[in-house]
Amino acid sequence: MDSLALFLARFQFGMTAFFHFLYPPLTIGLGTLLVITEGVYVFSKNQEYLRITRFFAKLFAINFVVGVATGIVMEFQFGTNWSQYSSYVGAIFGAPLAIEGLFAFFMESIFVGVMLLGWNRLSAKAHWVSTIFVALGSTLSAVWILVANSWMQSPAGYKIGSNGIPKMTNFWHVVFNPYFPSEFIHVIAAAWEYSAFFMAGVAAWFLIKNNKDMIMRKALKIAVISGVIVACFQIVLGDISAREVVKYQPTKLAMMEAQWHSERYAPETLFAIPNNQTESDGPQIGIPGMLSMLAYMNPAAKVMGFNKSISYINHKYNLKLTAAMFPPVLIVFWSFHIMMYFGFYFALIMLIALYFLFKGKLYDSPKMLKVLWFSTFLPLIAIEFGWFTTEIGRQPFTVYGLLTTVKSVSPNVSALDVGLSTLMFTLIYITLASFAIFLFKRELKERAEGKDELAGESAPAAASNNKEVLS
Amino acid sequence: MNLNILWFILVAVLILGWSVMDGFDYGVGGLLNFIAKNDKEKRYVMNAIGPVWEGNQVWLILGGGAVFAAFPLVYASIFSGFYLAMMLVVWLIIFRAVSFEFRSKVENAGWRNFWDADITVTGLGISLLLGVAIANVLMGVPLNQDHVDYQSLFSLLNIFGLVGGLISLSMFLMHGSAYLIMKTEGEVQQRARVFAKRFAIAYIVFTLLFLLISPIFAHRLLSNSFGIIGDIVPVIMLIGGIGVILTAGSSSDIKPFAYSIVGILGAVASLGVGIFPDIVPSSINPEYSLNIYNSASNHLTLLVMLIATLIGLPLVLIYAFYAYKKFGLKVKMDDSSY
Ligand code: HDD
Ligand code: HEM
Ligand code: HEM
Repeated sequence: MDSLALFLARFQFGMTAFFHFLYPPLTIGLGTLLVITEGVYVFSKNQEYLRITRFFAKLFAINFVVGVATGIVMEFQFGTNWSQYSSYVGAIFGAPLAIEGLFAFFMESIFVGVMLLGWNRLSAKAHWVSTIFVALGSTLSAVWILVANSWMQSPAGYKIGSNGIPKMTNFWHVVFNPYFPSEFIHVIAAAWEYSAFFMAGVAAWFLIKNNKDMIMRKALKIAVISGVIVACFQIVLGDISAREVVKYQPTKLAMMEAQWHSERYAPETLFAIPNNQTESDGPQIGIPGMLSMLAYMNPAAKVMGFNKSISYINHKYNLKLTAAMFPPVLIVFWSFHIMMYFGFYFALIMLIALYFLFKGKLYDSPKMLKVLWFSTFLPLIAIEFGWFTTEIGRQPFTVYGLLTTVKSVSPNVSALDVGLSTLMFTLIYITLASFAIFLFKRELKERAEGKDELAGESAPAAASNNKEVLS
Repeated sequence: MNLNILWFILVAVLILGWSVMDGFDYGVGGLLNFIAKNDKEKRYVMNAIGPVWEGNQVWLILGGGAVFAAFPLVYASIFSGFYLAMMLVVWLIIFRAVSFEFRSKVENAGWRNFWDADITVTGLGISLLLGVAIANVLMGVPLNQDHVDYQSLFSLLNIFGLVGGLISLSMFLMHGSAYLIMKTEGEVQQRARVFAKRFAIAYIVFTLLFLLISPIFAHRLLSNSFGIIGDIVPVIMLIGGIGVILTAGSSSDIKPFAYSIVGILGAVASLGVGIFPDIVPSSINPEYSLNIYNSASNHLTLLVMLIATLIGLPLVLIYAFYAYKKFGLKVKMDDSSY
């Protein structure tokens, strides 16, 4: 296997995962927000909430189809580009993937059709139930895909068989592997956080144009209240995730914190330019003792340095890894820190917005509305850098401690083939993302120009359409 | 019966589910530009599959996942061995998945023509490639002793592969037409009746041609593991096809679709019977073939997956039934339609 093909396969995986994960968070989070807004409508019969739901459902639909289109690639890729990986872990990793199809995607995709095209065919309550199924289905899909992913981070419930391949010994240990709970909650919270910012940003855009838009006022209120809760919790949840890293992936922790040498009273480094050659942090700002405190609840606790962590896992898994096999610490350090800083920024913004809301000034403050509009898509940056931290920090393994990336790739696929397909995917994904943005903008413009979210065409006109076709 | 055989059957059932439930989506897509004369008719045709195609597509994803979990080595060697062909399929699927939603959002003739062409090309392309791939597997794949195969995209495009492709193409077009007979009324339905008959004839012709040339290309089909019973199975394909021909012109809206399902059932059953107990035969040495034993996951995985399927599949059928019921037998358009 030549190293160019390996590089391209890694690039392709990272790139497709990057693009795929631009969409599912909104499906998961906005789905849940629609359950709330439609629920309010069902119980209060207040038409304004129906309008919020129907308008955001249009945006949901655009996002959803692109998410589906990019997701299918993810599944195919394990077989095409990572065939050795697939043969090695299929018996364990394949199971949650198949279960995801069976228990999550079907629910989500069948009810999404009912939800989007069934506004006039179902009673309000039955329609709401379909919306609930869509949100539930997308959340379940996150459950199972994250079972698969977290198992790769902290394998459990298996035994190495006589052929050198892991065999499942306990299904529930596979599902509830040590990483799963923290990863799942952190990812779901990220999805909700992004969706709250999305709804807030869109509503703010309309209010900047016309602050008497009562419907968007209500949407903004819902977004800010849910946003402030999730954004504050997310900081705690991120900390919980980090503590799992401390326990199970010491090499990743050392890279995330640019901790070169083992020490007591380890600082939480806030700024550094880590350099693998010199094994130093360059200009650096840190809070003394803070990392030891966060990781072990004790400022005097010793935190493992980068080199020590490598010899530790070499010993633990009986391997011979060298520091040169690990990714640049700079990348992991900054991926993690960018995510973290955005986490604090989001909490701050939402707290300020909440303050404005209480003061009754939120809808009339163009500055605050502009900040919210500016922040609409920022959570995506945190989300993607979070995945960079998780996935790049796990290198050189695909399955931590068991299988390295070098041994995962398809041996029979040439660099030319992977290069060609990578090029195509890049073009396709950029095209799809551009279409999605174009259609988002169009929906916003149409509404701003007065097209009503309750009826594209009025119902009688549509019925006569149908007759014309038939005559 | 052991778990390996059971999983072989279950995978066949999933392929059947996919062909029956998603096959008409591809067929209707492929027909779109030919059966509908103007934008209104196109929307009418698209809304026949509008509320359900997304759920139907999951059959494909589930099939992939099930093979990954139950027969990981098959998943690994087919997907990497047919690399560019697989990529081609993925690209078609991507562009099909977004087309319906995107098309309906903008009322501009150029935009709509683009997506109409997209829906037609992707529908035809996927239908064709499916059969090409399956015929090549039946013929045997150059798997070496590590179960790895090295071949190019063009080696798949041989005569046997192409005839296989024409079978699946005509099958899905027949199925799509039969579905439209059921879902539509008026002129569109009349055209669908004509199409259904024509594609059913094509389906029968290609099937007979395939059987005729298979002694040259795929000897294994002559010596299947079930003897004479195995030889009779392809007759089910012909029964389905003939049934569609006979009923397409009648007044019945549902019978052609029912016969079309029989035709598909015959195709999947013939495939299963023809290949068992191998899944991917090796053309280099039969010993290198991947069969239901040497490619399978361990016992516990197969068991867990079996339990999951027994619980999950009925649920899926309930959701699907609910969705089809809510939208009624005949297409009705309203302001939330595509
Ligand atoms: C279920 C599994 C799974 C999931 C949900 C993700 N990944 Fe991952 N990722 C892998 C499974 C994986 C992998 C198959 O295990 C790879 C391929 C090669 C490797 O080292 O790990 C990988 C590699 C990989 C790489 C290359 C690492 C390197 O070059 O060292 C990047 C940049 C990402 N991923 C990024 C992401 C992003 C942005 C994701 C957000 C959705 C994501 N991954 C989700
Ligand atoms: C390697 C990893 C992944 C694979 C193989 C994968 C596979 C897929 C597939 C096949 C689909 C289309 C499903 C359909 O047709 O309904 C899809 C969509 C989806 N995926 Fe992923 N996925 C991956 C990562 C993730 C992650 C990490 C999450 C969430 C935490 C996620 C959540 C979703 C959701 C909610 C959808 C539904 C539609 C949408 O994207 O908007 N996926 N994925
Ligand atoms: C101060 C706040 C935050 C902290 C301390 C934090 C911490 C972490 C840590 C330690 C990881 C790596 C876990 C691993 O390697 O498995 C992680 C991953 C991740 N983070 Fe954060 N995070 C924070 C905020 C955010 C925010 C605001 C978002 C998105 C809106 C986000 C999205 C993600 C995602 C998607 C992942 C990858 C999945 C995972 O492993 O859980 N994080 N985070």
